[in-house]
Amino acid sequence: MNKFSKTIMAVLIFTGAASFLAPTARAASCCGGGSASSLILPKFSRSMVDLSFDMEKYDGFWNKAGDRIEDPPGSDLKQYRLNLGYGLRLADRWQASVSAPYVWNDNKYSGINSKTNGLGDMRLNLWYEAFDAIQCVWKVKSIKDLKPATYLGLSLTLPTGISPYDDVENSFDVTGRGFYRLDGIALFDKTIYPWSATLLFSYGTHLERSVNREYGNYVEPYHKKLGDRALGTLSFGYSHFLENMSSMTYTAAYSDLQEDEGTIDGKTDATSGLRKRSVAGTIAYSTMERDWIIKATLSHAIKKNGWGENFPTTDIISIGVSHVFR
Amino acid sequence: MYFVRRALNFIDMAPYRVLRSVRYVMIFSLLIVSGCGDYFDDLHPDGGDKRPVAVPGTVGPLVGQDAKDFTISDSLGNAVTLSTETASADGVVLYFTMWCPVCDSHTSNMRSFVVTRFPNITFFLVDYVSGSVADVRSAQLSNGYADFNVLADINDVAEKGFDATMGTTVVVNSSGVIVMNEDYKDGSRLIDILETLP
Repeated sequence: MNKFSKTIMAVLIFTGAASFLAPTARAASCCGGGSASSLILPKFSRSMVDLSFDMEKYDGFWNKAGDRIEDPPGSDLKQYRLNLGYGLRLADRWQASVSAPYVWNDNKYSGINSKTNGLGDMRLNLWYEAFDAIQCVWKVKSIKDLKPATYLGLSLTLPTGISPYDDVENSFDVTGRGFYRLDGIALFDKTIYPWSATLLFSYGTHLERSVNREYGNYVEPYHKKLGDRALGTLSFGYSHFLENMSSMTYTAAYSDLQEDEGTIDGKTDATSGLRKRSVAGTIAYSTMERDWIIKATLSHAIKKNGWGENFPTTDIISIGVSHVFR
Repeated sequence: MYFVRRALNFIDMAPYRVLRSVRYVMIFSLLIVSGCGDYFDDLHPDGGDKRPVAVPGTVGPLVGQDAKDFTISDSLGNAVTLSTETASADGVVLYFTMWCPVCDSHTSNMRSFVVTRFPNITFFLVDYVSGSVADVRSAQLSNGYADFNVLADINDVAEKGFDATMGTTVVVNSSGVIVMNEDYKDGSRLIDILETLP
């Protein structure tokens, strides 16, 4: 496979993976939001910088039973996030990245108007690429050509955001959840031009922590742990090349995010846990050299009963640009 | 041999690359930490008991203080006075809601496991985000809580009186003293407190 094909593959993996790993609308000022996108560095490149801007619009929520409820009359709830990421290749098969969101909450009710901002929860990622050669093909000539590119990752979420347990005045200030979380991630990607498919699984566990303050008020200390979190994303992409050999890639994805019930002092907290299922579409443009990628994603929550539990119904528009250093 | 060679290659390359990037990481971290100050308590949580000591007989939001009395409208337009309610029951529970998923989960849990267990306690939801009694009533009905008494805290009197926010649960006993003021959690803590009331 020539170098050009390899770079195409790398761009496809990057644009697809970056889209799937983007936060799938879990952020909410009331439940703590503001996670950052993960990054996957293309093969044969040294480092990468990623900058993206998200606008998340709230439109009701699903209750614990999965029934969708409208927001109060006169309310208009939004969150904006500026995500900055940096990825660095450590070795042929290893790479690491850090990503940080800055969050603006814009909450408007008929009786309250609140605008707050702050750093969100940062993420540190370590990836292992379980392949040496590019796994994309133009034609399937043997069974080996069906082998996908496999990435195995660890992601540590740091509670750098403003959480309910910080010295805050009220819930509108919140930009993070306040817990460390360690995720294991497996990403499988296969491209048979011009089509591609990606499957992602991640499973994460929150670390238990002590709490002695809630929304700025000191309380009797206790121990709290959020539930384990699982995410599955399946996506399909199609790309075509323009006359100047730059490319456009179109991706459709389906995500299912679930978080188990947490514990308080070791006892199950039946009011916690969440689920959200969503669909997303991404358009990505990359230059001929494949060193600049511009992408736009719309993540849409299905506003019907049964598509989520204990979670806001939100749509997210994300626009971003990435630069790869080779 | 293949894996050994790979391991050696990784060991050989990684330190140089990491060292080269350390300065950027340090600069980035310094910028963040210097800009956010006290907000980094979550990185190393403090589990110590730092509750301020309340002076009995004083009015304030702390447990052990007298609740600041108020009169506000409920969602049907009736005036509700806290002192009147506490005097006519074993106690009053106020749950502050902004009609969000967490609020709904708490309220649903409270309705299922707490309210029916304490018939001599008066329960109120307090809507502190809606701007009119009509909006409060509309939110109450669309969220399925027609069976609850909902207070319309239009001027944030109750919210400020208890230093409350989303999910805050306040219990005031029949003497008007605050015996609980914290986030709802799973309901067991509220039950424990209510069982201590005469």
